[in-house]
Amino acid sequence: MWTEGYMPVQMLIHLTVMMAVYVGANYFLKKIGKGIPAFPQAILIWLGTYSYFKFAVAPPLPSTLLYTFMGLVTIVIFLFISSTEQGWTDFKRPILGTLMAVNPMYKGVRTFSFVVLPLLIGYGTYDFNVPKFDEPIDLRTVHPAPPASTTVRGQNFTLQTAQNPYRVEDNGEYMEPGHEKKYFKSNVFEPNAPKYLQYVKEGGSIFFQNCHFCHGDNLNGRGMFAFAFVPIPANFVDPGTLAQLQETFVFWRIAKGGPGLPTESAPWASAMPPWEEHLTTDEIWKVSMFEYWHTEFFPRTWE
Amino acid sequence: MVTMLIMSLAMPFFLTPVMAQEATKAATEAAPKVEMAKDVYFKTEGPVSGNPVPELKAADYPSYNLPYPLSENRILIWSIAQQHLYFGSFVLAVPIFCMIIELVGLLTKDPVMAKKYDDLAHLLVKISLTAYSVTAILGGLLLFSFITLYPDFFKYISSLFRPVMHIYALLFLAESGTLYIYYYGWDRMAHGFAKWMHACLGVLLNVFGSVLMMLANSWASFMMSPAGVDEQGRFLGNIWNVLHNALWNPLNVHRIIGNMVFGGGIVAAYAAYKFLAAKNMEEKAYYDWMGYIAMFMAVGSLIPLPFAGYWLMREVYGFRQQMGITLMGGLLAWLFIIQAVLIGALFFSTNYYLFNGMERMRGAEKYQKYIKYILFLTTAAFIVWLTPHTLVMRPAELKAIGGQQHPIIGNFGVMSAKNGAVNTMIMTTIISFLLYQRSNKIITVKWEAWGNAALVAMFAVALVNNWWLAIYGYFIPANVRVGLSVPQVMGTLTTLFVGSAINIAMMKGSKLTGPIEWGKISVRSQYALFALAVSFTWLMALMGYIRSSVRLFWHVMEVFRDTSPWAFTHTIGFAANVMSMNVMAFWLFVLFVFWLGELTSKHAVAEARKEAARPVMAGGSE
Repeated sequence: MWTEGYMPVQMLIHLTVMMAVYVGANYFLKKIGKGIPAFPQAILIWLGTYSYFKFAVAPPLPSTLLYTFMGLVTIVIFLFISSTEQGWTDFKRPILGTLMAVNPMYKGVRTFSFVVLPLLIGYGTYDFNVPKFDEPIDLRTVHPAPPASTTVRGQNFTLQTAQNPYRVEDNGEYMEPGHEKKYFKSNVFEPNAPKYLQYVKEGGSIFFQNCHFCHGDNLNGRGMFAFAFVPIPANFVDPGTLAQLQETFVFWRIAKGGPGLPTESAPWASAMPPWEEHLTTDEIWKVSMFEYWHTEFFPRTWE
Repeated sequence: MVTMLIMSLAMPFFLTPVMAQEATKAATEAAPKVEMAKDVYFKTEGPVSGNPVPELKAADYPSYNLPYPLSENRILIWSIAQQHLYFGSFVLAVPIFCMIIELVGLLTKDPVMAKKYDDLAHLLVKISLTAYSVTAILGGLLLFSFITLYPDFFKYISSLFRPVMHIYALLFLAESGTLYIYYYGWDRMAHGFAKWMHACLGVLLNVFGSVLMMLANSWASFMMSPAGVDEQGRFLGNIWNVLHNALWNPLNVHRIIGNMVFGGGIVAAYAAYKFLAAKNMEEKAYYDWMGYIAMFMAVGSLIPLPFAGYWLMREVYGFRQQMGITLMGGLLAWLFIIQAVLIGALFFSTNYYLFNGMERMRGAEKYQKYIKYILFLTTAAFIVWLTPHTLVMRPAELKAIGGQQHPIIGNFGVMSAKNGAVNTMIMTTIISFLLYQRSNKIITVKWEAWGNAALVAMFAVALVNNWWLAIYGYFIPANVRVGLSVPQVMGTLTTLFVGSAINIAMMKGSKLTGPIEWGKISVRSQYALFALAVSFTWLMALMGYIRSSVRLFWHVMEVFRDTSPWAFTHTIGFAANVMSMNVMAFWLFVLFVFWLGELTSKHAVAEARKEAARPVMAGGSE
């Protein structure tokens, strides 16, 4: 059902197919004179969508997001049924019928509702208030704002303007992010490889000596130690990480590690060592360059 | 007279460099060398012409011994500034609408309709008149609050902006004078050349209002992105550099458009309130029409607003990566999710209002079948739009996902997906509007099939192009990705302008299935107008807070440190409560203003209602 790399688009396609099925089934049932009234239709749409988000999306959605999505779906269903007078009247009919007990069936439904609904509300209130031992919901900022400048091994770096000294063309000039695309599939082990690739190779050696145990051979955050941690290490293959960040941000993160995170990022929830204690600044720059090269992302720039 | 006025307003500008030169000259005579320093933003050298920022202690912030949270000076300033901004936005936006509506009235050939538009513009300016006084009173209160609660900060800011503040005050005078002539001269200048002169006064009023706002914006943008001073905050003799800081223009554009959306929303809410309170069909018809016009103007302005917001954020990131990440990826990111929800509410409210509006036109049934598709597309786009980059979850959920990034919806959390989503929501709203426009018409042009095919093809191409670029954005460098928003926006704007043009051309000579039965719209639709207005108000409170709090512990970013006991960022929940209190206070204020307007405008409304017997659609395209 899910193919890695296509998942977000797949989800939108699934939703479109569900919509098409709903429209098709509705059309067919109406055609044969067995159209479903608005009220059960609304409930079916709600249940269908809930089942998809709850059971079909894997890995599961966090509960906060599931509630948000379902809140949205509930509102949209209301907008849909009440966007025309006819739809609104159809939708209200069984509700008003139940409240006024217009026939014995509705009377039964009313009696049932008047007994069950207060009980449900009572249980809901109890459940909401009873002390629980669940883990608390955690709002951890994945990418906190970096400081304006940082001092690494006695050297001060202004993160807004600092550049990776090893991101260079063969003539020694700084290589603007994006220009490295030409080297993405190149062999870094070529004896006469361009300077950029030589530095990438050095960065790769440092990575495999120090980082891959956690961040993994494929840089996807699934190294051999990864699952000893919660959360697991950052997944650099995901477009929401390296590609969103300036290279100086990555430099700062490597240098300062978990203990250097601001409070909103819960430094206590990161096992990343402050690598400035083990690597030189040159080595950190090279590792950063290797990570971008390997994942084929470009550091974020603004102009 | 106007030239003299403008000259007098501009004089301090011309004088300032001279004064700076004199100061420099005097300094040269006194000392052998003028101290030169580097501008923190422009990186140019300039003569030091002011004092450095003061080094303050907690005791330098005099506060009242009030119960928490009123004991925090910033809560007082925050609330007063918010109310001042609300009313300021309203009184800046309403003249823009008055100008447009009056012009529409002038250009309308049908005298009954022309008068109807003219009366509406007159009524609006009457409502804004009371709001104008409230704005001035709140402005005064804000000024006194700054002087008494943040004396050293205010002294510093006023030392920099001294000439600008004087121009501001003089412009306020000019605007007041123009407003009074505009309002009280309405009946006297009702015909012929005088009426055109009156319309020109409306333009002048808006020029004064806009410049006034831009000057005030420069103070706020300077605090975020200082320029024209050195690292110690010393003025370097060039007021233009201080004014023309990195975020000034993006903020100006965003606020002008935002004000128009907000003003339209307030007027729409007023009309909805009057519709619900109407005692007869005539009243209902009038306020239904008024609500529609106001909604039309608000939503018309809403469409370019995300692009202006995008530009502002791009410049914020460009100015300081740190600020950009604090806003959209860090400490304040969850407030942006709330913003996304509120923006979604705007689009849903608008579409819902248009769907309900179709009900007052016979023949709309053939278009109502498309509602479900429009809602589906908007919902799918909204799901992408509101999914956060930073997920809130329990550690067990995080473990189940296998990391901070969810492999399916995690990709929706970044800008590329958001651009695709917001453009989709705008396009579905445009489709709703095009369908609404043709609801009571049978198209008779021979090229109907071709016209429809062109419309469908254009939307299909624009949507596919938009989605394709949103996906492509994941595979290219960020600076190129930012540029992709241009073709996306172009596609959206093409559907708006070309789509509307084709639609209007197709409706030429069409048969009416019946008039628009103003007043026969559902009550539910009026709540959609309230939702629209309240969402705008909430959005302003939210984004105002975000813009201001992104400075964290700086009065002036990286130049003037906030050393007050309140230099910490509030929790999201606390900030949201203050915002909501401000929103409630504003709506209470607004009710008061409307009530005051009612006292004086009953006669005018009764007159206008008489004219409202003839139903029409906005733009006279009945």
